[in-house]
Amino acid sequence: MNVYKVVIGLETHCELNTKKKVFSNSNNIYSQSPNTNISAIDLGFPGILPVLNKESVVKALQVAIALNSKIPAKLTFDRKNYYYPDLPKGYQITQSKYPIGEEGYALIDIDGETRKVLIHDIHLEEDSASLDHVGDSTLVDYNRAGVPLIEIVTEPCLNSSSEAVAYLESLRNMLLYLDVSEARADRGQIRCDVNVSLMKDTDTKLGTKVEMKNINSFANVKDAIDAEVNRQREALDKGEAIIQETRRYDEITKTTHRMRDKVESIDYKYFTEPNIPDISLKIDFISSVKTNLPILPYDRKKKYLELGISLVDANTLVRQKDISDYFNQILGEGIEAKTACNWIISVVISYLNKTFTDIKNLSLTPKMLSEVIKLVESSKISGKQGKELLTKSLEDNIDPIEIFNKSNMTQITDIGEITNIITKIIDANLNLVEDYRKGKNVFNFFIGQVMKETKGTVNPKIASDILKQELDKR
Amino acid sequence: MSMLETHITYDEAVSRAKKYQDRYNSFVTIIDDYQNENSGILKGIPYALKDNLSTKGIITTASSNMLKDYIPSFDATVYEKLKASGAMLVGKTVLDELAMGGTGTTGHTGIVKNPWDEKRMIGGSSSGSASAVALGIVPFAIGSDTGDSIRKPASYAGVVGFKPTYGRVSRYGLFAFASSLDHVGCLTRNVLDSAIVIDTIKGHDKHDLTSLLDDDKSYRDLIKNDINGKKGFYLKEIIESIDSDEILDCFNKNLKSLKDLGVDISEVSIDKNLLRAIYPAYITISSAEATSNNSNLTGLLFGPREEQPSFDKIMMHQRTIGFSNLIKRRFVLGSYVLQKENQEKLFLNAQRIRRMVVNKINELFKQYDFYILPATSSIAPLFDDEIDRLSDKYLIAENHLVIGNFGGYPSITIPNGFVNKMPIGINITSRQKEDEVALSIAYHLEQTMNYKDQIAGDERV
Amino acid sequence: MIEVDKLKTYANKLMFDMSNEEYLVLQKEFDTILKHMDIIDNLEGIDFVEPMTFPFDIDIDLIDDDTIESLSVEEAFRNAKSTRNNRLQVPKVVS
Repeated sequence: MNVYKVVIGLETHCELNTKKKVFSNSNNIYSQSPNTNISAIDLGFPGILPVLNKESVVKALQVAIALNSKIPAKLTFDRKNYYYPDLPKGYQITQSKYPIGEEGYALIDIDGETRKVLIHDIHLEEDSASLDHVGDSTLVDYNRAGVPLIEIVTEPCLNSSSEAVAYLESLRNMLLYLDVSEARADRGQIRCDVNVSLMKDTDTKLGTKVEMKNINSFANVKDAIDAEVNRQREALDKGEAIIQETRRYDEITKTTHRMRDKVESIDYKYFTEPNIPDISLKIDFISSVKTNLPILPYDRKKKYLELGISLVDANTLVRQKDISDYFNQILGEGIEAKTACNWIISVVISYLNKTFTDIKNLSLTPKMLSEVIKLVESSKISGKQGKELLTKSLEDNIDPIEIFNKSNMTQITDIGEITNIITKIIDANLNLVEDYRKGKNVFNFFIGQVMKETKGTVNPKIASDILKQELDKR
Repeated sequence: MSMLETHITYDEAVSRAKKYQDRYNSFVTIIDDYQNENSGILKGIPYALKDNLSTKGIITTASSNMLKDYIPSFDATVYEKLKASGAMLVGKTVLDELAMGGTGTTGHTGIVKNPWDEKRMIGGSSSGSASAVALGIVPFAIGSDTGDSIRKPASYAGVVGFKPTYGRVSRYGLFAFASSLDHVGCLTRNVLDSAIVIDTIKGHDKHDLTSLLDDDKSYRDLIKNDINGKKGFYLKEIIESIDSDEILDCFNKNLKSLKDLGVDISEVSIDKNLLRAIYPAYITISSAEATSNNSNLTGLLFGPREEQPSFDKIMMHQRTIGFSNLIKRRFVLGSYVLQKENQEKLFLNAQRIRRMVVNKINELFKQYDFYILPATSSIAPLFDDEIDRLSDKYLIAENHLVIGNFGGYPSITIPNGFVNKMPIGINITSRQKEDEVALSIAYHLEQTMNYKDQIAGDERV
Repeated sequence: MIEVDKLKTYANKLMFDMSNEEYLVLQKEFDTILKHMDIIDNLEGIDFVEPMTFPFDIDIDLIDDDTIESLSVEEAFRNAKSTRNNRLQVPKVVS
């Protein structure tokens, strides 16, 4: 059996979450009711002309910048011509010659290593209508026709299905951080075309590529790649040639099937869209978009690592932008990074996971959490008390400081008081004092007793110091 | 006399339209119960719209069987503005199918006859609009001009035809033929009326990204400005290619009149190869854009549709029976020139010729304010005698009006004589965005002649 | 001369067909135009000229506008010959 290198290229289509569609003034909102967000332009009626909505351009530019691409001096559009029931004008307005971003890259982490995924181009275009097959008919819903899409095309530089998925997840997270898309695969807001080919190490040219279109979930992307790689591997081992074609992935049999000859054999007769004049992308405009870009997951993670957070925890914090923002706000309140991280993960994230709540709906604000952390750090209450406050706050939906103020909860720090408690406990356990003197490990038992006696409200460090002191005295 | 001072009433216009319909076939649809309560500068004035302009609720066919039952759901911007001005729509006029033609013979409701001689064509594609104005049915009609479709029929019909600067009038609602060449303009019986119409319909439109910003000019006032000191030129090669002495006589008379008004006219020579390239380049570019623009005509969502076993069979059947042969031939050419392997040598070269022509004219416009040429090299042809614009005989003589579309220059044809009892016209073209210059030269020249407000047909004096 | 068969393929890709006589007319037209374009290809200096799409520079500003435009389903399907459940109906598309 030969060893082959797997070569994968991905084309990801992503619907932008703008208020309006890109070339028309229809509402851009997900709707279950067909044909409710449509206008004459979306329907391709005679006499219509495209508009160009700024928000789509800005968001596409944000993605291009976030993927470190070269931005052209002018924004231009082209027509892609073909006939299909989901394409009312008989052409799609897209970018073929001068895409909004070229020669970029994405940095992703795979198994602890940083990988650079090369991006061939990013371009802005309009989506087609949606087709629903019902019995003998196909029904056309134009709600989706004209929705802005960005298409992100990688170079054929991914070498395994897990790399492909890692890239997709990272890309999706980036899009969420940029707030340019909801990127929900279940709503078709992010779709993927996958190109797979195999080559031997000794080959100088890439193998014949096979395309799989419109894969609708990342899990299916992984399975589709694996299935196709197996198929190609078997064929090549038998000495068969791979035909350049488009295949469909079947979720049930977990195999790929021939769809039609590769789409490239259709000539789309691209030419410059004559209804949209060139638009200069001025330096100040691009700069302002750049400056307003949120800091992205990769860079945030880097910063967290620098602050001493562990890799695992850093990944947890950046997994969702809202969590990272929350964490950043705690830092903003002056809390030290590792401390903040521990509190968030042990209290907030575990709560969110347990109750399936989204952090956007959390009543406990970063400021509130910070206040509690400060109480603990200043020894007014113990860590255990702090956790109690927060648990109650989350359960009852009340400000933890309010709970604190009403409860007279304090940490016992008074040396005299602590000494009394400890003395009592030692007196009740004189037998163990002997063990202590002999070097036996009974210290923790005593501490446990002190905690039990004070219901956890005693300052642990002070108690520990005094206990040692008193035990040594005996 | 401008139409503001005196004009046929709406009812009279409708009656005249109906009277002439069978004989001259100006209209696809006559509207005899039009209501418009708006009070604007054109209040009460009847007019006609070429049937490739979208009118909500009123059937709009582009004279094509593919749209023979199509009722639009939105108004063209031009129509909205005319409604706002109080004007009264008498009907939608016949055109060459989808505006792709120059004879007035390819519309789906039949040929349009020249009102000066029914054995002759009126040209196109704004055939019915030219005829409605020439017959005195309406004082103005809206047309569209992609290669000469307002300015040539104007010449053949003895009326004024004005194509403003590209983007001066919004194209929103104009059924697209070739988007980078299409212009909305008007036909009238005198220059002042054209100025008034364009004043009313021009303006920036956010629905048309190629529309110009408002120029805040009143053309009807500016055309009266003195033209003394203006400099014009004519192209030697074009004059030399015109056979007709009568046409050249009228042309030369006009040059003299302009000189008497203090306008300097020079002869300029231009590379014949470039002139010969104009029409082939035009056919290439316009066919390519047209093929793409008409890809929405499939029968699936609108237009006639006969059920078939698959969507492509529906499209195939509909487009086979719905388009005329001329259209289909243009589409095949348009598609061919856009094919990947052909684009460089065909489509892109045609676009290069366009730039070369425009560069040359722009260079000349650094020295001159306008150019002037006979609008056509002959009177309106007999129906049997079509002019082959690709033949050597006509390649240079008959296609210079396309320059106005290549460069988007404001360009106007006015009647300047008669040959064998058929009207002929003269064309004046000025710099981009200086519409008032072409208009004022035309206005003053018009005053030196007697062809203003002339009417054909039974109303002929 | 381009073969009629080829012309027929081009026409069919545009979703229509023509009669044989028409293909012959088209063949002649093609011939004329392509001959002209050949001459053009040999024009001096043409290779150095940028193709022109717009007649002059139309530099526009991107604008943000709040107006939403929409059509009702009735208007959208006013001319449609076959609809079902508020959607356009076509014969089942087989991919």
